Amino acid sequence: MSIKNMTEEKNWSGQKLVSTDYLLFEAPREKHFMTGSEVLKEAIKRCTVDASVSYPITPQSEAAHLIGELWAEGYVGLYFRGENEFGVMSEVQGCAMAGARTVTTTSGPGTLRAMENFPTWSGTRIPCQLVLMARGINSPLTIQPDNLEVSFLLETGCMIWYAENVQELFDMSIAAFTVAEKPDVHVPIITAVDGFFVSHTRESVMLPADDIALHPYDPYASPLPPIDSEMPPGRFLRDPFVMKSNYISYATHASWQWEVRSAVERSKPYARHYLQGLVHTTGDEDAEIVFVACGTATHQAKEAHRELAKLGIKSKVVKLRTIRPFPHQELLEATKNAKYIFVPEFNIVGWLDKEVTQSLYGKTEAKIVGRPRVAGGMSMPAEAILREVFENTNVKGA
Amino acid sequence: MANLGPAHYSPYPVAFYDDLLTPPEGKALLLTEIVDEEVAMREIARVMLTSENATIFPGPQVLYAWNDEAKKKATLIKEMAEVLNAKMIPMYDYRPKYPKIDAEVEINPNHPNLTIWHNNIKACIFVGVHCHYANVALKMIRSETDCYTAAICGLSGHEDAMATIRDQHASEMARFIEIAKEVKKELGK
Amino acid sequence: MSVDIYKINPEFRDIMPQEIIDLEDNATWAGESVEKRGINDLTDKKEILEEHSLCAGCPEAAALRYILAALPLPEETIIVNSTGCTSLMFPHIALHTVHSMFGNQNAVASGIKRTLDWRFPDKTKDVVVLAGDGATIDIGLDYTLQSFFRQEKITTICFDNEVYANTGGQESGSTPKGQVFKMAPKGKVFDKVPMWELAVTSGCQYSVKLTASAPKKVAKVLREAVLIARELGPTYIHLYTPCILEIGLAANEGLWEMKEQDKDRFADFKYVSPEAEAYLKECKKEGLL
Repeated sequence: MSIKNMTEEKNWSGQKLVSTDYLLFEAPREKHFMTGSEVLKEAIKRCTVDASVSYPITPQSEAAHLIGELWAEGYVGLYFRGENEFGVMSEVQGCAMAGARTVTTTSGPGTLRAMENFPTWSGTRIPCQLVLMARGINSPLTIQPDNLEVSFLLETGCMIWYAENVQELFDMSIAAFTVAEKPDVHVPIITAVDGFFVSHTRESVMLPADDIALHPYDPYASPLPPIDSEMPPGRFLRDPFVMKSNYISYATHASWQWEVRSAVERSKPYARHYLQGLVHTTGDEDAEIVFVACGTATHQAKEAHRELAKLGIKSKVVKLRTIRPFPHQELLEATKNAKYIFVPEFNIVGWLDKEVTQSLYGKTEAKIVGRPRVAGGMSMPAEAILREVFENTNVKGA
Repeated sequence: MANLGPAHYSPYPVAFYDDLLTPPEGKALLLTEIVDEEVAMREIARVMLTSENATIFPGPQVLYAWNDEAKKKATLIKEMAEVLNAKMIPMYDYRPKYPKIDAEVEINPNHPNLTIWHNNIKACIFVGVHCHYANVALKMIRSETDCYTAAICGLSGHEDAMATIRDQHASEMARFIEIAKEVKKELGK
Repeated sequence: MSVDIYKINPEFRDIMPQEIIDLEDNATWAGESVEKRGINDLTDKKEILEEHSLCAGCPEAAALRYILAALPLPEETIIVNSTGCTSLMFPHIALHTVHSMFGNQNAVASGIKRTLDWRFPDKTKDVVVLAGDGATIDIGLDYTLQSFFRQEKITTICFDNEVYANTGGQESGSTPKGQVFKMAPKGKVFDKVPMWELAVTSGCQYSVKLTASAPKKVAKVLREAVLIARELGPTYIHLYTPCILEIGLAANEGLWEMKEQDKDRFADFKYVSPEAEAYLKECKKEGLL
């Protein structure tokens, strides 16, 4: 398998090159039944991916080794197992800097072990994708679903998208490459899903044929040169201590960090297009009871909505597809009729509750309730959500 | 506000503070407004022709003969400078230069304000500078100086410049030069 | 293609600084022939390193200049650096280089090398790591050795000044036993880590320990290491570049210190695997050495 086999029409594994719009919105699809890990393999297979580096940790090990199978089958250009997550994320940085479309995966403690890399990734503007299969953070140890780790990533300067289910993981992880690689964006993207609930649960999904794939990454249509000695300036270090310049311009450092955050904001129009909206609302448009959630919590909120409907109580579910950039405008619009906003979460700190509260501060008169919160692998039954509704509103239960 | 600087002590990110993003394909950005490309081209030419010490800052993508497009753009930029009565000061690489830059003859993304202050530049065009470094420089220029910045970009454009046109290849640059010639005539410069 | 990225468009030649013009006109890019480059270029050819802020007389600065003069194919060489005094020179090197964080230089270099081999299967792209003893042996030991286990085709150069100099002079794993430095006020308790031996047991095809007292010796070792890494596997150079500041020497005493150590802690060590030995013979025949 060699990159030399790629032509104008086909990539090196013989797949026909198509636009992202075609792959996501137009290509005919067939029904399959598979887990999140398996669907990630299907997505990566259709993305003309140059590089992936892997390391085992539950629950993302399966997804990581399936990407390895793609390499053995000739779809992914290069692949190897790294020595630990910090090493893996550094290897990913090297691959992306040298011009590869790169993907990796990790979970929980692995994310924390790699932590120093994430602000470096965003600061050096690499468009790599990290599929994060959220699992609990030690101590105590749990391999079970819990998305506390996302709170650690919020200020790394990376984009963060959250998939609700297996189908959404498929489409998001394809869109992720396209949006991250836009020249005015070009920052890392973290595609989060809940471990086990999505990675290990089989769902029906609609997939396009596997003989089509995205166009390859163009490392020269990028906001800074790749490290390959092929593009000027010939003298180029990625990234120097800017503090060591004369008249000590610390302002450069601030400007650089602002640029990274601006790049995340610039992703909004593209994310809106490829995700078909930064948020997705279901239920009763003018409901006074609104659930704001992401990932699997959305699924449970939709259950609660159905139960409330049986009782004749209106409610609305607002799913946030993107966390960074945070969809301030869309959230405000979706909650304009709300009197009560519930933010159910799979972590004990309520990071989404904080984001929502800060976003709506001074703009809503709704009571915002950051409950229920479950963690460490607990499930979130609809009953738990309903109880919060009955206790915090003047709505009567059955 | 996304206007002419000096705006603030700290570099000013309009995407974050003012919700201004790069212009959509086929359009341009002038201060806070999305406009037709030709409107922006006229305004850029007008400002350059009527401002003190108007300067073009060519970057590595056009300074070096690394492909045919770069060579074509080099010729066009030289013509652009003549038409606009502008000086040219290169940004030939992006390193934090040691021991210090010679502000008279070079500009550097780590402290672009020094070159602008030293030469009393009131209007400038960034062209051929990689987007990341242009944006880092433009945020500082807006916050610390009153220089009018214009960015002629081969990719998506720069919202941190006061005027930006996007997807500019050699043929678009040639069009800009023709428009600049018209504006020059109208102004009697 | 690559040397073109240093060619100035004629329209701009009169506004470019002399250093950039010299890089086009008077530097010794390898091009077709490797023999033209070497230590002798340091006298009158344009060097790849520009003015930097290291201390007057710093042996690291001298050593870097020898290394840059010795690279067989500089225009296709990527150097990955890590935090330390060497980082202060890196922005001023006229190549594509990377500042990794601290300790992960071999991991970043592994990703770069594999990607360049994937993207440019018909071109030679050399990847060299250059970092201090702290980065290579302490905080980066895991990643350094693992890149050797994986047989990455990279040359790793350790600039050993036996201390964390850039942060003010703290003990490192490479400090000799008994030496008093910050964080070891009673003297270092354990022996100097024999990284050059660890390199051999970890899978390097070539591992050399020396000082930077003799420029042509450094150049020869560098050339051999890069050529072997291209074809066979990881190579390692352990180079004594003392921090004259931290050991209380004057600007002109660095060379004397290195010559003293040639007879002591840094007496020659050289390991060449049988395959590497055979390959070096071929290189000599082809005039690459």
